[in-house]
Amino acid sequence: MILKTFFKESKELLRDGRVRAAFAIVIILLGIAVWISARQYQNTNEQYLVAEAAEREVWDNQGEKNPHSASHYGTYAFKPKYPLSLMDQGVDKYMGASIFLESHKRNEAQFSAAADQTGLARFGDLTPDFILLFIIPLLIILLGYNSFTKEREMGTLTLLKSQGVRPWKWAVGKWLSLFFPIFMVTAILFLIAGILLSNLQDFGVFKWGSLLAMFIVYVGYYIIFINIILFISAKVEKSGIALVLSLSVWILACLAAPKAASNLAETKHPFPTRQEFAANISKDKQEGLNGHNPWSKESKLLEQKVLAEHGVDSIHQLPFNFDGYRMQKGEEHEAEIYFKHYNYLKEQYAQQSDVYKGLAVISPYLPTRFLSMAIAQTDYGTHWDFSDAAEEYRIATQKFLNDDFAQNSTYGDWSYQADSDFWKKLPQFEYEPPQLGSIIRSNASSIWILGVWIVLSFSIFLLTTKTI
Amino acid sequence: MIITNNLTKQFGDFTAVDNLSLSVKEGEILCLLGANGAGKSTTINMLLGFLKPTSGAATINGLDVVKNELKTKEFITYIPENLMLYPTLTAIENLDYFSGIAGKKLSTETLIGFLREAGLQEDAFQKRISTFSKGMRQKVGIALALAKDTKVLLLDEPTSGLDPKASNEFGELLQKLKNKGVAVLMATHDLFRAKEVATHIGIMKNGKLRQQFVAEDISLPQLEKAYLDTMNHLEVMS
Repeated sequence: MILKTFFKESKELLRDGRVRAAFAIVIILLGIAVWISARQYQNTNEQYLVAEAAEREVWDNQGEKNPHSASHYGTYAFKPKYPLSLMDQGVDKYMGASIFLESHKRNEAQFSAAADQTGLARFGDLTPDFILLFIIPLLIILLGYNSFTKEREMGTLTLLKSQGVRPWKWAVGKWLSLFFPIFMVTAILFLIAGILLSNLQDFGVFKWGSLLAMFIVYVGYYIIFINIILFISAKVEKSGIALVLSLSVWILACLAAPKAASNLAETKHPFPTRQEFAANISKDKQEGLNGHNPWSKESKLLEQKVLAEHGVDSIHQLPFNFDGYRMQKGEEHEAEIYFKHYNYLKEQYAQQSDVYKGLAVISPYLPTRFLSMAIAQTDYGTHWDFSDAAEEYRIATQKFLNDDFAQNSTYGDWSYQADSDFWKKLPQFEYEPPQLGSIIRSNASSIWILGVWIVLSFSIFLLTTKTI
Repeated sequence: MIITNNLTKQFGDFTAVDNLSLSVKEGEILCLLGANGAGKSTTINMLLGFLKPTSGAATINGLDVVKNELKTKEFITYIPENLMLYPTLTAIENLDYFSGIAGKKLSTETLIGFLREAGLQEDAFQKRISTFSKGMRQKVGIALALAKDTKVLLLDEPTSGLDPKASNEFGELLQKLKNKGVAVLMATHDLFRAKEVATHIGIMKNGKLRQQFVAEDISLPQLEKAYLDTMNHLEVMS
């Protein structure tokens, strides 16, 4: 009975011109979105490779220079675009693609794609994630809103019931007929994306496992929508009412809940303004050691401590250049300040995330969005991870430079210059984003929420069909 | 094959079917006559398990319709006044689906054979139901009864709205089914068709079976008189 109903429903769908048109539109939109994203992905990564090589070239060929001058001259950490950003661009567009690394200061990522766009960017982009998250649920509504109501309206329900149909088998047949085309469209999209990505050369490591994980997340999301739409169709009498209710669910889950979550999260756990953040850091910096100021109280204390440790009376007697040493200690102090303030931001972000997760109870969109971005490595968490890695590299770079200054020059000798080959000894910045296993572990709550949504919505749907 | 024993259905204070006892054996056609609200359709709905009896019992092929709701439906084919099928599917596809969900696995050739036996013209087999008249849809319903190898046929005003030719064809089909041993219970307003096809005729009013005849024993004018007398008498009585 399940298969009979599945094939019958599928035939009916295929013969409905509206359904064929809707599928054609979605497939065309998906094709365009994947094509645009693939081009963007290629362009960005080409730019990334060129910029990274050029910047390293500049760093390596600074010639003879004082290491501290080089630290102010600085370098860049470039954030690569990850293969699955083809599917979900997440927050990448707004987060900046490179961080300028210099002494004394932790900089924010800059040169975001959004900053390069005009106000028209507010209209949004046609991306695969937009279609996956918003348009395919609409397609589910179009295909399924009258799945049960049409039986009542056409009068076929009476004949069906008189055949001794077991309601759950009939309902599962209908469910499958809605799931199958959605599954196929999604599977084809992911397969095309996988083939495209696995054939791109030198652009990050594409993993089929991650693509599969993302596919499973979206299939789960669609299962929830199918359950809800069929539940509504089974529960109400008229197709018109079923359509209005289904669209209301879509609006609530996909539009209202995420925006309400943003407002609520921002209100409950606000980030400091950029000015407040900078002022707080500046205040803390003033209260500690400044590597450039040998006359400050903190510098004098450091000097006394180091002299005592080495059992000498003068910094000229130290086996290293105290200027370089003080610079390094100043860096370490400043790094701690940045660590403290960025940690506060992270805590606020974690609390905001909890608000989002709480609201996932009313919207399966939220856990799906979070999981999708995380697997695509385009979420805020990955950006934090990159930013932290860049900061670690910045701190290591400053130590590399300050140590050279301290070890190879004498106190007061600011004319010291490292030789031209020295710069090449600095290891390149290499960033490994979180891998699938750790992404899944850190997003376990979203997976659980999606799982509960799937089981509950399917159970309620099946129970409802008993009373048809 | 169909037996009801003091079958009663009440909706609040209103008694739709009142202690109805009847039986239809294999190869019999019982036509229930009566005005709207007489309880004919409610009786059929109880036999189908769509409504639960307030009291009394009904059995199909020896099985209680309440206790064995799904099992009894295996023996039943139901053709309502307006048999609605899936408009975008063809006659064969509809027949295949409905017989399939009733547990019959039949080849296309076999299904075509049933449609042919039900009198549907050959060129309609592959046409979508949306192009079918009511009479053609009723023939698909009969084909379904054949495909299910049905034991009991329940008909609710099946000839209502059919032109005389289609109605006559439908009557002939019922005769075929009767000859195959099917027990037919038909609710109708059509005295002429009842006299033509029935082996037994019952007249219902206010949920009660007021009169019952062997069709052979009564002429059409006598039936008409009995029907009108029953209606008028009971109205005066009530």
